[in-house]
Amino acid sequence: MALASLGAAFVLLPVVALFVRAPWSRLGGALSGVGASTALRLSLEVSLAATAISVAVGVPLAWTLARGEFPGRNLLRAAVILPIVLPPVVGGVGLLVALGRSGMVGRWLHDALGIQLTFTTAGAVVATTFVSMPLVVLATEAGLRGLDRRYEQAAAAMGGSPWYVFRRVTLPMVAPQLAAGAVLTWARALGEFGATITFAGNLAGRTQTMPLAVFEARQIDPGGAIVLSLILVVVSVSVLVALGGRLTGLR
Amino acid sequence: MALDAEIQVRRGDVTIAAAFSAGDRETLALLGPNGAGKTTIVETIAGLVPAATGRIFLDSEPIHDLPPEKRPVGIAFQDGVLFPHLSVLENVAFPVRARGARSRASRAHALELLERLAPGIAPNAKPRTLSGGERQRVALARALAGAPRVLILDEPLSAVDVSGRADLRALLRRTLGDFHGPRLLVTHDPVEAMTLADRIVVLENGRITQTGTPEEIRDGPRTRYAADLVGMNLFAGRLMPIEAGAGALQTGDGVVTVPWPDEVAVGPLDDVLATLAPADVVLHVSRPEGSARNVVRGVVEEVAILGDRARVRLDSSPPLVAEITTGSATRMAIRPGTMVWASFKAVEIDLMVEPEPTDTL
Repeated sequence: MALASLGAAFVLLPVVALFVRAPWSRLGGALSGVGASTALRLSLEVSLAATAISVAVGVPLAWTLARGEFPGRNLLRAAVILPIVLPPVVGGVGLLVALGRSGMVGRWLHDALGIQLTFTTAGAVVATTFVSMPLVVLATEAGLRGLDRRYEQAAAAMGGSPWYVFRRVTLPMVAPQLAAGAVLTWARALGEFGATITFAGNLAGRTQTMPLAVFEARQIDPGGAIVLSLILVVVSVSVLVALGGRLTGLR
Repeated sequence: MALDAEIQVRRGDVTIAAAFSAGDRETLALLGPNGAGKTTIVETIAGLVPAATGRIFLDSEPIHDLPPEKRPVGIAFQDGVLFPHLSVLENVAFPVRARGARSRASRAHALELLERLAPGIAPNAKPRTLSGGERQRVALARALAGAPRVLILDEPLSAVDVSGRADLRALLRRTLGDFHGPRLLVTHDPVEAMTLADRIVVLENGRITQTGTPEEIRDGPRTRYAADLVGMNLFAGRLMPIEAGAGALQTGDGVVTVPWPDEVAVGPLDDVLATLAPADVVLHVSRPEGSARNVVRGVVEEVAILGDRARVRLDSSPPLVAEITTGSATRMAIRPGTMVWASFKAVEIDLMVEPEPTDTL
């Protein structure tokens, strides 16, 4: 019991401290002073774009992992999970040598197509997607595995083509897991720091998302860092509340 | 239109190999114990078992190479398998919409089917709010919605509680009778097979052990299983009360004293079905003394030996099949032509009450 209280206090203390130490008297000034609105808008844009890409690519990937029968499937799943366990900075370095201007693929992207990802908002999206996509893949794959195949069989027997069955039966039936996975992905994307700063840099208005802004503000204006942090706390708690028990119900 | 199927498929330890035909407007029951391969066979016909090999023809037109969505088969699955995220109406409209019909037309068609087969069920209800019997009615409507050329019902009564069974059985009989084309009925319940099917295929351990009309199988079961389950004495007729807890079932040929069903109010009842296991019929060489309410006399028509048992068919009123040991048969010198007495207790009889008048029995 005592250990449980200690654990709970440990989790809650930093959040409480943020509220206690916030410079409430100069809230407005602090907000404008550190460019909070720019960073917050960029954060929302980057995290939502990363979530959209994760769902668009991650759902087919989850389907392949859940239903495909091919050699190396477990290897592929391990690779998909890797960004979760990998330190984000390492992911950022990896992205740099792969997609950076002189990277393996990045060089070609730049020379042939004129695309540069480093130090651009697109680069921040790429880094964020890399780190957060596994969450929606895993949640959707779990949903697909838990789905009774008889529903899809019945739908096929009722004249549904494979694509029709996927749209009208499979996808709606795994929608709760997919949605929970997407929210987790988005939350992870919102907090992404290491891969983004390593791969995309820290340019205000282009790649400086909220966590990066907090990090920078801490060196110049500790009060401003607290205010920025509080905004992220409010956004995160809102998501938790909006989701209710569904997030915690996810295995 | 006729269905000809010849199917081989492995399921676990069981190799299923079966060949059968169902004629136009013929109801063919696949009867067998759980695990015999009945469901696998009909799912193979519907194209849902990729590992299966064999040939399936509909009016000598091969359908075994078609993907499931292209096969003109309507199937009501065991337990319904209704889509939980769709309403009752959307479930029934599914086969129509899946084949490209417009939303409005498919809904009108689905509503019409629901009204006919599942009146009293709210079209907007979600499947999880329905009882087993209601789910089965919706599944039946959905199976018919795509205008299939073959109708398959997989254990349509198994998830239905006893009180709803008689109602649903009557509906199944009507629906099967109205369907133009071959109909397949999967069941492990011999009464269902005998009352709904024109012909029965007995399936055991993946193999067909017997095919015939219900009468043929009842009179001459070829295996222990068929004898135990299908070889039942079946009585049908009008039930009249005679005293507390007992009634007289007046069949076309003879009267049988039966227990009065608890759940039914006193009063004459039409179209009552009753079964009696042949092993519960006792044979005697002279008029028996004792408590058995039903005592009849008749000439032995046929004696069939099945292992250590003898099945004795009596030309009595009503006609009876008795099952005795071969030892007793020898001792009593039972052979065709012998006159014997038969007795059976009212409590050994199982009653099934049919609520609606039907013309098939």
